Amino acid sequence: MSEETTAKTSYHIPVGPIHPALKEPVYFEFELSGERIIDVTVKLGHVHRGVEWAGMRRNPIQVLYLAERICGICSYCHPAAFTLAVENAADIQVPERAEYLRVIQAELERICSHILWAGVAAHEIGFDTVLYFTWQIREKALDLTEYLTGNRVTKGIMTIGGIRRDITSDMLPRIKRDMQFFKDNFEKLRHIFLDDKTVKMRSQNAGILTKDDAIKLCAVGPTTRASGVKKDVRTGESYFAYGDLDVKCITPKDLTGTVNGDVYDRIIQRLLEVKQAIELIEQCIDEMPAGDIVSEPKIPKLMNQIKKIEGEGVGRHEAPRGEVVHYVKLDGKSDHPYTWKVRAPTYNNILPWIPMLKGEQIADIPIVAASTDPCMSCTNRVAIVKDSKKYELTKEQLHNLSIQKTRRLMK
Amino acid sequence: MTKKNVTPEEVVKYFKDEFKTKIKGAKIVKRKFGSKKKESYYIWMKVDRTVFKDAIKHLIKLQFPHLAVASGNDLDKTIEIIYHFTLNYDQPLEEIILNISVEMPKTDPTIDTISDIIPGALITEREKMEMLGITVKGIPDASRVFVPDDIPEGVYPWRKDKTGPDKFYKNLHEVKK
Amino acid sequence: MAKGLTKSFKRALWVYHCNSGSCNGCDIEIIAALCPRYDVERFGIRLVGTPRHADVLLVTGPVTRQMVDKVKRIYEQMPDPKAVICVGNCGNTGDVFYESYNLVGPINQIIPVDVHVIGCPPRPEAIINAVTKAWVKLETLEAKK
Repeated sequence: MSEETTAKTSYHIPVGPIHPALKEPVYFEFELSGERIIDVTVKLGHVHRGVEWAGMRRNPIQVLYLAERICGICSYCHPAAFTLAVENAADIQVPERAEYLRVIQAELERICSHILWAGVAAHEIGFDTVLYFTWQIREKALDLTEYLTGNRVTKGIMTIGGIRRDITSDMLPRIKRDMQFFKDNFEKLRHIFLDDKTVKMRSQNAGILTKDDAIKLCAVGPTTRASGVKKDVRTGESYFAYGDLDVKCITPKDLTGTVNGDVYDRIIQRLLEVKQAIELIEQCIDEMPAGDIVSEPKIPKLMNQIKKIEGEGVGRHEAPRGEVVHYVKLDGKSDHPYTWKVRAPTYNNILPWIPMLKGEQIADIPIVAASTDPCMSCTNRVAIVKDSKKYELTKEQLHNLSIQKTRRLMK
Repeated sequence: MTKKNVTPEEVVKYFKDEFKTKIKGAKIVKRKFGSKKKESYYIWMKVDRTVFKDAIKHLIKLQFPHLAVASGNDLDKTIEIIYHFTLNYDQPLEEIILNISVEMPKTDPTIDTISDIIPGALITEREKMEMLGITVKGIPDASRVFVPDDIPEGVYPWRKDKTGPDKFYKNLHEVKK
Repeated sequence: MAKGLTKSFKRALWVYHCNSGSCNGCDIEIIAALCPRYDVERFGIRLVGTPRHADVLLVTGPVTRQMVDKVKRIYEQMPDPKAVICVGNCGNTGDVFYESYNLVGPINQIIPVDVHVIGCPPRPEAIINAVTKAWVKLETLEAKK
């Protein structure tokens, strides 16, 4: 690596939905030779609010509300993993009906998140109309979320020992109607993303992550499943009601027969997971048993129970972006957790960016980085990639480069 | 000697046979979930600091694990780092969560790196260095991950002694009159 | 539209969005305001990519130490007349992040704020309402000249 550098400035490339509003503070620094990337260095840390430190000073119910606001897009999975960790540490049994309800909420969030990602990926390629179309479908999913929980984004539905709101039998026709709506539109989405020539040209053979790299770098979520590694917390471990349901680990092999590990495979992976989520919700509604929805409805009694427990627990949940892990240690002297560790899924998906981006062109950076669905507020990452020839490229310029490449390919 | 599907008892026996007294407190916890009461398995083990890296190499010979994260505890005179691995991740409903904890005294908080044998461990080891003040020997990149450069060296956010970040505390709700 | 709109502000409102460490919940609702259901673009309001073209600044998030200088710089780069809208509870009071070692105060201790939108996250309708209030302020500023 030669060191003949002159002026050094860094790229600021916000990754993430680059419609001007969703700028997540992420920085990349690239080492370039012409238009090709030789090396990528990742530097992190911008949305660090000291959540784990604050959690050690609050009781578990307050921590639930704090955990929800770690990330707005995946605002169900952090409370879910935290309650699993506390229930494992304190050995609290959850009623069966609550476990099925938890699965329904988790899968609904998965539908919302994957459709959000589909719109963002389309925007990166340059198809703004597809962004508006997919987000219009997402509004229907948000309406259903509001009907079931009361809010569109931060739901506040998890509690330790169960769930806060029930799904009564008069709500079921609405859910069934909305699932039918998603099934009808799924075919349209599939046709737009998978049959379009330009999408194929931009995404096939771009940002390849081999199976070997995915295992060594401990990648999680749809990123790793699209490379052929069968890692899914829902199929591996029995938690919530997933052990009773018919969940299979999906890889792109189920649709196309081969696995390449490129961006196109990740699009296939997420669309197939939306289909699986719809089927899981329908299965849950049919099989849900009757019963309580929470093991201890009186909160002060629950707090007193937790105050006396001494133990540690690990809770894992399959969020739309991958595996979320929380570790909680209770010390039996107060109801504040002694230690709380949060690990969001994007954390493990940062290192795979390096082999994915080497050898790519600058114009491919937005789509490759967005294909791993990074959620920066979960991760607090500022990726600064060191360059032998650093110069400043704004997000707009990167986005324009990406759109220009699409227009060139369309001719 | 890699096995595709191991049971929790086999894993504990595999470690105890090789390292004997250096493995303490091996505990298997099984919890049931759902209507059909299928079980999830958790193993908690304490490993001596001196054989830690050999223990991980021994684990890789059995099966290449998935490293979820490493968490840390400040226990008054010692610091405990817990590595959370999973095994059998591609076998349906057979996944085992293996938690290996290593303790080190605050006067000599060093541990060997495992990022040469499991490259995915790099970021989590760097985070422990800045949050708890340990030193990971042999790590290729020791720069900070989350904590900004305004906060000087020697301040460790997760510690409960006087090296905590209380000097930088700010209460956003207070109204200055 | 809102009362008090004169016709002195002779162009459509351009908005710049800045994320100073938020959880992205408010940011999603801002984009949802642009999507066909709430469709704020029919009023001519659009998002721009640089603060030098913007009239209104939308800030979200409790400000982390790493982002303080950037928020101040963005505010200084915007040309007069300008209005600042603080979206979401984090920027207004800190909300759940009320104590931390890495956060520097609610946004109005860093830059002057004109419209506060509360909610966690606020609904897109509330955000559109806030933008029209900022519009009224800009009109009065322009009319005074």
